[in-house]
Amino acid sequence: MSDTFFSGAPHWTWFIIPYFFIGGLAGGAYFLAAILEWFGGPAHRPVIRTGYRVAAVGAIVSGLLLTIDLGRPLRFWHMLFQSENFPAIMFKTWSPISFGAWAILLFGLFSVLSALGAMSEEGRLNNRALRAVGGVMQGRGLAKLVAALGGLLGFFVAGYTGVLLSVTNRPIWADSPWLGALFLVSGASTGAAALILLSPGRGATEQSLRWLTSFDSRALVVELLVLVLFLVSLGSINKVWLSFWGLLLLVGVVGAGIVWPLRLHASPARAARLVLLGGFLLRVATMLASEGIERYHMAAGT
Amino acid sequence: MGSNMAECHPVAFRWPMKAKLNGAKLIHVDPRFTRTSAMADLHVQIRAGSDIAFLGGLINYVVNSRRWNTDPFFKEFAVNYTNAATIISQDFKDTEDLEGVFSGLNTFSEPASWPYNGNVGRYDPASWGYERDPKPPGPATADLIARRAGPPFDDLVRSLKPGPAHRDPTLQHPRCVFQILKRHFARYTPEMVEQICGSPKDKFIRVAETLLENSGRDRTSAFAYAVAWTQHTYGVQMISCCALLQLLLGNIGRPGAGVMALRGHAAIQGSTDVPTLYHSIHGYMNAPSALRPHESLRAYMAAETSPTSYYGHLPKFLVSYLKSMYGAAATADNDFGYDWHPKILGDHSHIASFAAMAEGKVKGMVVVGQNPATSLNGHATRRALRELQWLVVKDNWLTETATYWYQAPEVKSGDVKVGDIKTEVFFFPSTQIGEYDGSFTNTQRMLQWHHMATKAPGDCRTDSWFYHNLAKRMKKLYAGSTASKDQGWLNVTWDFDPDAGEAPIYPGEPSARKILREINGYMTADPTQHLPGFAALKDDGSTTCASWIYCGCFPAPDKNLTARREPDPPGVPGAHLNWGWAWPANRRVMYNRASADLQGQPWSERKRWVWWDPTFVNPPDPKTGIAPPRGKWVGYDVPDFGATKAPNAPPKPDGIALDALSGTQPFIMRADGRGWLFVPAGLVDGPLPTHYEPAESPVHNLLYPKQQNSPVYKHWAKGKPYNPVAEIGDPRFPYVISTYRLTEHYLAGAMSRWLPWLAELQPELFIEIGKALAQEKGISNLDWVHISSPRGRIKAKALVTDRIGVMQVAGKAIHHVGMPWHWGWMGLSTGDVVNDLTSWVGDPNVSIHEGKAFVCNVEKA
Amino acid sequence: MAEAMGFFTDTTICIGCKACEVACKNWNQLPAEHGGVKEMSGDSYDNTQRLDGIHWRHVRFIEQFDGPYNGRWLMMSDVCKHCVQAGCLEVCPTGAIIRTQFDTVVIQSDVCNGCRACIAACPFGVIDMNPAAGTAQKCTLCYDRLEVGLEPACSKACPTDSIQFGPITELRARAQKRVEQLKAQGETRAQLYGDDPNGPLGGLNSFYLLVDKPEVYGLPKNPQLPTRNLPKSATFSAASAAVLGLLALVGLRKQRMDDMGGGGAGGGGVSPN
Ligand SMILES: Nc1nc2c(c(=O)[nH]1)N[C@H]1C(S)=C(S)[C@@H](COP(=O)(O)OP(=O)(O)OC[C@H]3O[C@@H](n4cnc5c(=O)[nH]c(N)nc54)[C@H](O)[C@@H]3O)O[C@H]1N2
Ligand SMILES: Nc1nc2c(c(=O)[nH]1)N[C@H]1C(S)=C(S)[C@@H](COP(=O)(O)OP(=O)(O)OC[C@H]3O[C@@H](n4cnc5c(=O)[nH]c(N)nc54)[C@H](O)[C@@H]3O)O[C@H]1N2
Ligand code: SF4
Ligand code: SF4
Ligand code: SF4
Ligand code: SF4
Ligand code: SF4
Ligand SMILES: [Mo]
Repeated sequence: MSDTFFSGAPHWTWFIIPYFFIGGLAGGAYFLAAILEWFGGPAHRPVIRTGYRVAAVGAIVSGLLLTIDLGRPLRFWHMLFQSENFPAIMFKTWSPISFGAWAILLFGLFSVLSALGAMSEEGRLNNRALRAVGGVMQGRGLAKLVAALGGLLGFFVAGYTGVLLSVTNRPIWADSPWLGALFLVSGASTGAAALILLSPGRGATEQSLRWLTSFDSRALVVELLVLVLFLVSLGSINKVWLSFWGLLLLVGVVGAGIVWPLRLHASPARAARLVLLGGFLLRVATMLASEGIERYHMAAGT
Repeated sequence: MGSNMAECHPVAFRWPMKAKLNGAKLIHVDPRFTRTSAMADLHVQIRAGSDIAFLGGLINYVVNSRRWNTDPFFKEFAVNYTNAATIISQDFKDTEDLEGVFSGLNTFSEPASWPYNGNVGRYDPASWGYERDPKPPGPATADLIARRAGPPFDDLVRSLKPGPAHRDPTLQHPRCVFQILKRHFARYTPEMVEQICGSPKDKFIRVAETLLENSGRDRTSAFAYAVAWTQHTYGVQMISCCALLQLLLGNIGRPGAGVMALRGHAAIQGSTDVPTLYHSIHGYMNAPSALRPHESLRAYMAAETSPTSYYGHLPKFLVSYLKSMYGAAATADNDFGYDWHPKILGDHSHIASFAAMAEGKVKGMVVVGQNPATSLNGHATRRALRELQWLVVKDNWLTETATYWYQAPEVKSGDVKVGDIKTEVFFFPSTQIGEYDGSFTNTQRMLQWHHMATKAPGDCRTDSWFYHNLAKRMKKLYAGSTASKDQGWLNVTWDFDPDAGEAPIYPGEPSARKILREINGYMTADPTQHLPGFAALKDDGSTTCASWIYCGCFPAPDKNLTARREPDPPGVPGAHLNWGWAWPANRRVMYNRASADLQGQPWSERKRWVWWDPTFVNPPDPKTGIAPPRGKWVGYDVPDFGATKAPNAPPKPDGIALDALSGTQPFIMRADGRGWLFVPAGLVDGPLPTHYEPAESPVHNLLYPKQQNSPVYKHWAKGKPYNPVAEIGDPRFPYVISTYRLTEHYLAGAMSRWLPWLAELQPELFIEIGKALAQEKGISNLDWVHISSPRGRIKAKALVTDRIGVMQVAGKAIHHVGMPWHWGWMGLSTGDVVNDLTSWVGDPNVSIHEGKAFVCNVEKA
Repeated sequence: MAEAMGFFTDTTICIGCKACEVACKNWNQLPAEHGGVKEMSGDSYDNTQRLDGIHWRHVRFIEQFDGPYNGRWLMMSDVCKHCVQAGCLEVCPTGAIIRTQFDTVVIQSDVCNGCRACIAACPFGVIDMNPAAGTAQKCTLCYDRLEVGLEPACSKACPTDSIQFGPITELRARAQKRVEQLKAQGETRAQLYGDDPNGPLGGLNSFYLLVDKPEVYGLPKNPQLPTRNLPKSATFSAASAAVLGLLALVGLRKQRMDDMGGGGAGGGGVSPN
């Protein structure tokens, strides 16, 4: 009996699950955009712009979800500053949730800047102030710098959510070191999928799309690999999957979210949709499976 | 045994736990494995109602054991400190001779004056007495009464002295108490115990051996009981059976010994001392009764005084009490107003009164601090309530008793129409204990003063406020009446208004100080001169004292000893004499003369408590100026004996009270100064405990096949449709059921089911049933089940557990079930009324109901 | 820091009276579940079931029987362990959870924002939300009482001294003696849980005397800090990030190759602008 079965569930459910999904997606999307910003060349601009904007929206939504979920939303800032002696910074490197709070904030900042750049690039900014900022962001050097930092933060945001779960004493989450990796990879695959679906609208080129789809397939393979490692590392804990959540993981995540899309080269769009679904269900399954475990009774074996 | 101490007296249970840490062995004998059993070294299951068989078995085992017959301590204690050697009248016939009953059994027919006594039979105890020499010559009692002799009443008391009783210190005489009880209990073998009680033989023998090992000069054992030994048709006999065993083991009057009554309500001890009981006036003097020879003051004294024990002073107690009742109006000429004093007609106890009420014989009732609507045959009780013209309920909450007329199950079900109930119900909100000054008297007879912590909300008033103002108004109403029946009430003194300068805590509140002074007593001539103790009481009216046993708790206007809070330092075997005040005379262990041997020395160093110090120099008597000879009883406790009476002092030939006893007779409240193994007088259901089956039982009486039940138990409202009782082994009700308490709730529940913090701890009514029965009936944990008895049918959730179960009784497998009885329809946590199952049958000595053992059926709902 | 204070709970003399549970609620003015109106659990006499935001003390009942009347009934009053290395304190992102001068662990309710990380971090399932406050709550070891020199409400109320409060070093010595006594009396299963400063979490400032395996009482055999997983978890994530980065670049590279190789499948990649 794993010692994790004696802990209490934090009730991280219908705000946190979408947050983890969207945060991951946003992070993944920005990362890909950043890669292209650096190495992609002009052909990829539409995808880059889409990536930035998806990231910005995702980051903002994530922040909102995270805040609404708090027992005391108006005290969200206590995570950033020491409430007793403001403006002293509140930051614990060893606590993913503390680290993450800052990460999501900064990621939001960078992704919004990049997004503004993208929008002024498209000439869609009519507010003067914003246009000014956007203009500045069009400077290639600055854009690249921001992209670099944002991209790293993006991957952090995608991954830390899983690490956060591992740095607890909850069943499943704390029983494997692979959850962070799993969420990160899934963030990348869903990010790519999102771009596959959205960027054509922004005039993405055939070339970018090909790159995205091939990347996505590769990411899915990696995801499958990590998922296997994750399950292997759970060992005896796997018995918890003998439940609805196990079925969801198998059919929803592995089947619909990974294997099937891999076999759908023909229509990337449909594949992408399935990848998004799979990514979401991955969060649902891994989180609710653990949330649902009643402490003690399980422990006392009764 | 006979209580669930850990759950019902958790604070007191601190001490058994301390003892356990010091290596003491703990045994729990109970039909259930309870939180007490969980702490015990040994738990023994027993079928409810069979304790006399178990205790009788122990007695039989003990008197035949090697240890008891080889260690001289036991016989020395028994021969000298108990009536083991006393010879009983030859007219006495034991249950051995009469197949389960004693000599003197008569039929009983209800008197027309008060036909609610409920006895199924009655004993004439004349044949149970000691065999005696003829009465010494002297003035005849009858003449003294006729001559209206006294005060002083010493001659009257002396005239009551019987001739000395015959004794055989060798314990060989066939009619000596020891031989009689040895024969009486001979059939209570370990095998028989197993058959009757369902207690495994090996466990029973372990109990017996443990008791023997832990009794003697150097060790003592104690029993703690509560209502598991009272709520039976032979409850008093259970307790006296335990006392018998403890006397044989030398476990009375010594530290760490005794038969501990764990009393119930916080101040229930006080309520019986003071008293609220119908059959006694203050200090356990019997209430003047129309059924006894109590026609006059002296007749009462002659009937009630035991001349050769401390009760020989009864005239002093009684006269001082009458002075407190009637004050200046009570004079020697009018026998201190004795004729004004109300007399009882028969059994006016709780159930008897409700039986009368059910027949419309009671006009109105004042219910203060009680919730009868959910206790004792609820249907019959509520039927009785509906017959009232008016009902006053004074409580902290709107209890079931205050709401029965529109909330009771029979009203909700429509069987009874609210409109048909003619009772007018008045509700008075009451203060709680922390909202006024007063005193508690707890289980160890200790009075502890408590102070008001906070003001009560709104119109809440104390109970003393209620009675004080009621009395004042009634005296106004009766003022000037010339009817002779009213003279008593008119002459009652009622001086409890606070003195000038003494601020009442609530408008119209009486002075708690004055009430305590009245109870403690004072010099009639000068009320500021409080009495130091009951030794100061006089029978000539010069002293006024409501309750002789409380005399001394308030010895001076500035000395309220009940308010003391000084514990003894840790480590000493202290009696904590400076913590509160315990009656009598602040003694903590009664009859503690028995803690020393015949010569007055401690039985052993380890068990030192009170002893004779022959070198002690006594101060001269202030009045006579003569100093008594050297020597005094000293020790940790207040000696329960003549302070300077030497161990070798002989009885005074024509002495009364303590003077009639020698220096080796510790039991000074008994006429022969000895502990009673055999009870020649005072109990209405026999001189020796005898096993009978409860009024309702699934089995026949294995010990006395011809006598199933106590021949004199009480069955009120017999033959009435609302109080039927099941036949022996009635197939419709095959299971034995007992009712009891939970730590989390309090009695009828008003004090706990209203409280969120307690309600969440035990939120629902349940029945505890064993796994075997559950399986048989297809009942699983938390299923709803119906429980039915001849009186009613209720619903509860099943709690299936191995802490209760099946027992092998009389060769049959008997399923035992149990229910906590705290629930009712009011409050946060509500549930059916368990007492809708119980009946109006009870004990003939004290009229308590048989709530601990009856029969029922259980069906999946 | 002043001397470390805490609890030694001797479960062998717990009579399951729940006075501690009620005393705690009384002193801390905690609400009852659904105002006290609820269904029974059917789990022996335990109707509150767990420690959480409104039950800072909880008395557990364990029936160990084989056959009627044949067995034992264990009772144990559980509470926050005030771990010397506290997982809850470690992860708390707002600094609401602090270590006091008594070496106890306290949640400052006015700082907590209800993120609930501590709930999942506690190895013992001690913390949960207090719905009334919207913050995570648990035993404060009566910090407010200790500050004015009072004993905690629960231990004060305990009639049998099953809960003993005092300086940890004293309590440890006392506990050792009791274990030896029990062993001498034949209770071979008697053991202390959490008394060892070199043991898990650096020792628990609320430790217990048990007469069966910890799991039987709902206690983890080997409680650990949540951050034990951080290094591995972080490394694996970083690694997978790197892998993905590579894959992405490889992808780009391959595309360029294809394009240079002229007229690969798909249009010439001339971007619109
Ligand atoms: N928490 C709490 N404490 C209380 C009370 C309360 O309501 N709640 N009530 C107070 C009052 S008024 C009283 S009188 C006392 C009562 O104190 P107790 O008498 O200890 O309480 P009960 O639970 O009525 O009965 C005790 C035990 O008797 C067992 N029993 C039933 N029948 C028999 C029998 O025939 N023989 C033997 N040996 N055991 C039997 C039951 O299984 C039960 O465990 O408690 C007082 N203390
Ligand atoms: N089946 C079954 N029936 C039983 C028993 C059993 O074991 N089994 N036990 C029996 C025993 S031992 C007893 S003692 C009785 C108890 O039965 P009851 O005495 O009828 O029940 P309680 O709930 O104690 O009633 C006390 C009431 O006094 C109120 N009260 C508290 N303090 C004050 C105060 O200061 N002033 C006033 N005016 N009211 C106050 C409380 O709110 C409560 O309503 O039940 C008996 N009934
Ligand atoms: S409730 Fe009162 S009387 Fe009963 S144990 Fe507790 S303190 Fe004593
Ligand atoms: S027991 Fe849990 S809540 Fe208490 S200090 Fe340890 S980690 Fe924190
Ligand atoms: S819920 Fe409150 S105490 Fe717990 S970790 Fe979050 S902020 Fe800290
Ligand atoms: S120490 Fe105080 S807060 Fe903690 S459980 Fe005891 S009473 Fe409750
Ligand atoms: S107060 Fe003491 S005895 Fe009662 S349940 Fe709590 S720990 Fe056990
Ligand atoms: Mo009682």
